[in-house]
Amino acid sequence: MTYHTTMSRLRQLDSRFERIFGTLLGLGPLRLHRFGHDHDHDEPASDVEADVLAEVRERAGDVHERLSHEHDVFAVELAGSTGGGKTMLIERLIERADEGERIGVVVGDVTGEDDAERLRAHGVAVENINTGRECHLDPMVVAEALDGFDLEELDTLYIENVGNMVCPADFPLGANRRVLVVSTTEGDDVVRKHPMLVQTADVVVVNKVDLADAVGTSVERIRSDVGAVSPETPMLEIAAKTGQGIDGVVDVLDESRTEHHSHRTAPPHHGDDTESNHTGDSGH
Amino acid sequence: MHELSIATGILDRALSAAEAHGADRIEALRIELGEATHVNQRQLRFCLETSLEGTIAAGARVRIDEITPQAACDCGWNGRPQTLEIALSYAPDVRCPECDSRATLVRGRECRLASIDVPDEAYRSTETPETTPTERQT
Repeated sequence: MTYHTTMSRLRQLDSRFERIFGTLLGLGPLRLHRFGHDHDHDEPASDVEADVLAEVRERAGDVHERLSHEHDVFAVELAGSTGGGKTMLIERLIERADEGERIGVVVGDVTGEDDAERLRAHGVAVENINTGRECHLDPMVVAEALDGFDLEELDTLYIENVGNMVCPADFPLGANRRVLVVSTTEGDDVVRKHPMLVQTADVVVVNKVDLADAVGTSVERIRSDVGAVSPETPMLEIAAKTGQGIDGVVDVLDESRTEHHSHRTAPPHHGDDTESNHTGDSGH
Repeated sequence: MHELSIATGILDRALSAAEAHGADRIEALRIELGEATHVNQRQLRFCLETSLEGTIAAGARVRIDEITPQAACDCGWNGRPQTLEIALSYAPDVRCPECDSRATLVRGRECRLASIDVPDEAYRSTETPETTPTERQT
C-alpha cells in the first residue's frame, strides 16, 4: 500500500470515527444495545465474547490430545532465530536416537524445502509447511501437517518452528516440550531482547558456545538472564556442529518423555493443558 | 505480524454474534488486549478497521482496552507482576514476590472481543436473546 492510499484510508477512518462517535453521544438517531460485557470480569462469559488467543491455545490442546493421548507420540517443538541451529540440533538428536525409534519431523519455513531435504536425508518422515505470509507456525497448520503421518507408526515428533523470536510466544503448538534454541552469534542480550518467548520455553539451549569468545558473547550473561526472565527453566550449552553438549539435551528430553508416559497412564484427563510447564500459562 | 489473522478472527466472531442476535448492523466493537502478548495495538486497530469494510460492521467504532497482567502462585500469592527491569521489551516478572518460585500468568495474555454495540431497532426485531444487554446508550 502506498503512503498516499494509506493516508487516504486513515482519513476515511477518521471521518467515520466522528460519525459514530456523534451517534454514541446521542447526536444521531440510533439507540444501541451492547452485547458482551464491560469491565466486570467476574460475570460469566456471554456468547459474544471470544478470546482469539485463547482459541489458539485450545487448538494447541487439541494437537496435544491427538499426539500425546491418542497416539502416544512424544512431541518436541524447536523455536528460535533463523540460523540459530534448530535444524542441526534436530539432526543431532536423530543421529542419537535409540535404535528402532520412529521419528517424524514437521518443518516450518516461510518458503523452500531446504530444511526438509536435509532432514529427509536422515531417513525420517518429514512434512514441510511453507507458511508463505505467516511468520510462525500455529496449531492449526500443525494439525494439517499431522495428516501426512501415520501417527501410530511414530514415537517422536520434532516440530521446527519458523525462525522468529517474537510471534511464537503467542502461539503454542501443542508439543510436550518447547525447546528454545538461541546461539552465541545472536549476541548475549538475546534473552533480554525476547523475554516473552523465553518465558514460554521449557528448555533453553544455547548453541555455538564454541564461538562465544570469538564473537565476544558471555554465555554466563545469557544464563543469568534466563534465570531472571524465566525462573526454573533449565539452560543447556551446546555446539551442535561439533556435537558438544548434545547428550545433555537428550537427557532432558528423555526425562520429559518419561514424565509424558507416566502422565499418559494417569487417570483420564482432558488435554486442554499441554504437559509443557509454561506454554500453558494462559490460566485456562 | 499476526494482527491480520487475529483481526479476522475477531471480526468473524463479531459478525456471527450480530447474526445470532438478529442485528444487521454493528456500530461498535470493544476488544480487550493483554499487555503480555505480542499483538501490536495500533496494527490490530488498522487491520480490524480495514477488515470491517464491506461487512455490516463497516465504519464501526473500535475500542481496544489494554489488560494489565495478573499472576498467581501456588503459594497463594496473586497480584500484578512487576515489569521485568532487565528486559529490553515489556515482559512481566514471573518470579513470585512471596516465595521466589515461578508464578503463572492468569491475565494479560488475552485478545478478546468483549462486546459489540448494535442498533436498538435491530435488537427489538428479534426474540429475546439469552444474553442480557449490560448497557443501553442513547
